Amino acid sequence: MKFIKNHLMFILPLMAILLGIEFYLVFERTTGTYEQGLKEDYSMLVVTQKPVKLETLKALNSHISTIRPIKREQIVSKVTKGLDKKGSKEILKSLPYFYDVGLDAYLDTKALGEIKKDLEKDKRVKKVETFRSSYGSSYRLFRFVKLILNIFIVFMGVVSLFLIIKQMEIWKYEHRQRMQVMEIFGAPLMLRSGVLFKIAIVDAIFATLMTAGLFFYAKLIWAPQSGINIIVANQEKLFRMTDMGILLVAALLIVIIAVYSVVFSARGVEE
Amino acid sequence: MSNVIHASNLTLAYDEGRKEIIKNANFNIKKGEFVFITGPSGSGKSTLLKALYGALKPTEGSLVVGGLDLANTRQSKLQELRTHMGIIFQDYKLVNEWTVAKNVVLPLMIAGYSTDVQNTQAQRLLKHVKLSEHADKYPIELSGGEQQRVGVARALSKNPVVILADEPTGNLDDYSSNVIWDLMENACQQLETTVLVVTHKIPTIFSLPYRHFIIESKGVYEVH
Repeated sequence: MKFIKNHLMFILPLMAILLGIEFYLVFERTTGTYEQGLKEDYSMLVVTQKPVKLETLKALNSHISTIRPIKREQIVSKVTKGLDKKGSKEILKSLPYFYDVGLDAYLDTKALGEIKKDLEKDKRVKKVETFRSSYGSSYRLFRFVKLILNIFIVFMGVVSLFLIIKQMEIWKYEHRQRMQVMEIFGAPLMLRSGVLFKIAIVDAIFATLMTAGLFFYAKLIWAPQSGINIIVANQEKLFRMTDMGILLVAALLIVIIAVYSVVFSARGVEE
Repeated sequence: MSNVIHASNLTLAYDEGRKEIIKNANFNIKKGEFVFITGPSGSGKSTLLKALYGALKPTEGSLVVGGLDLANTRQSKLQELRTHMGIIFQDYKLVNEWTVAKNVVLPLMIAGYSTDVQNTQAQRLLKHVKLSEHADKYPIELSGGEQQRVGVARALSKNPVVILADEPTGNLDDYSSNVIWDLMENACQQLETTVLVVTHKIPTIFSLPYRHFIIESKGVYEVH
């Protein structure tokens, strides 16, 4: 019972850190797609006196990546109902040119303002509408959720680290006598700390497998049945084999640092 | 005969040299000698022993053990030196989660001997200290005298050049004490091991010729 408790007291905080790392990875991947979606869906409206090309606008601001002319005939068709062809032509002639302009990245409202300023410097540009207010609120909400999650992950990591240090203190107490006796009789560091390393590495592997197991379950069983569109759409991104490597390396790094701290603090032959 | 231990103007202190325990001590101990170091409580007997196995560096002077100057020795050399020493403590310092047999062969384990050699040696040594039937027990299951015999067996397991013993019979009754003295006398006589014992009282029944040092007022003096 004591053996199991001893291991769980180390494995659980380690798992909490690994879960934090995995949550971060998954969130970055899924919100990456969301961010891409926001970027692709967003476009600003540019009104010009004369027709312009993509290169012209790109020269004014490098963030501009696409340009799509809005058919003027569609705009005037409603207004010119009942008018003869000549009248329609006159209206069309006096109408400026409208463009849907796409950007290369998801920018904040300040950057949108900069783009608007750059475009309006050109005399051909009559008006730029960035739809900043609706764009800004979704962007701010997105950043806020991201920040909250990162704070939570860091907080969870710090608390778990303290729990691991606490457990290390118990290990130090448990293994101190053996390590000191071995040191008195001339055992090198690796030999006297060998048992600790074995325990810690086994625990690190366990914690990694259990964390990976949870995410595999989420990916293969929970996600398809969840009915949540964004989860179903991003099912593949919930866990990848490369994540297993990242988690294992992180777990091993944490336990090696922890064990070394115990070994070095238990040094010094005492009477 | 060659010196196994040589101290020259040796000063030992704690608190980064502020608290001197031994000052300007000079002595030599030769191979195969049996030496008692006595002195009042707190005089520095255990401190001297600690310095002899490299747990405390000399503050001044030199202390050469087995040809190694402990004032200027790297940790790796110190570890190697300790593998040629047998150390016995008043509180036994056995590893409680190991069996008696495993405790006995600790020095062999550190030296990298095979499990077969370790097992054979464990049987031989435990027979020597009359604890064969306790091989698979844990130290906590033994009496104080038996635990100290395990400690002596461990100290002898690798035929050490020198045995350092700190109050080895301090916690034992007369019978157990005599057994321990016999074992150490035998080691000295038969294996020509240098034995250095820190004790508050020299045993009355002791058959070997021995040298006696006393620690007093920070000095180490030989009693003739």
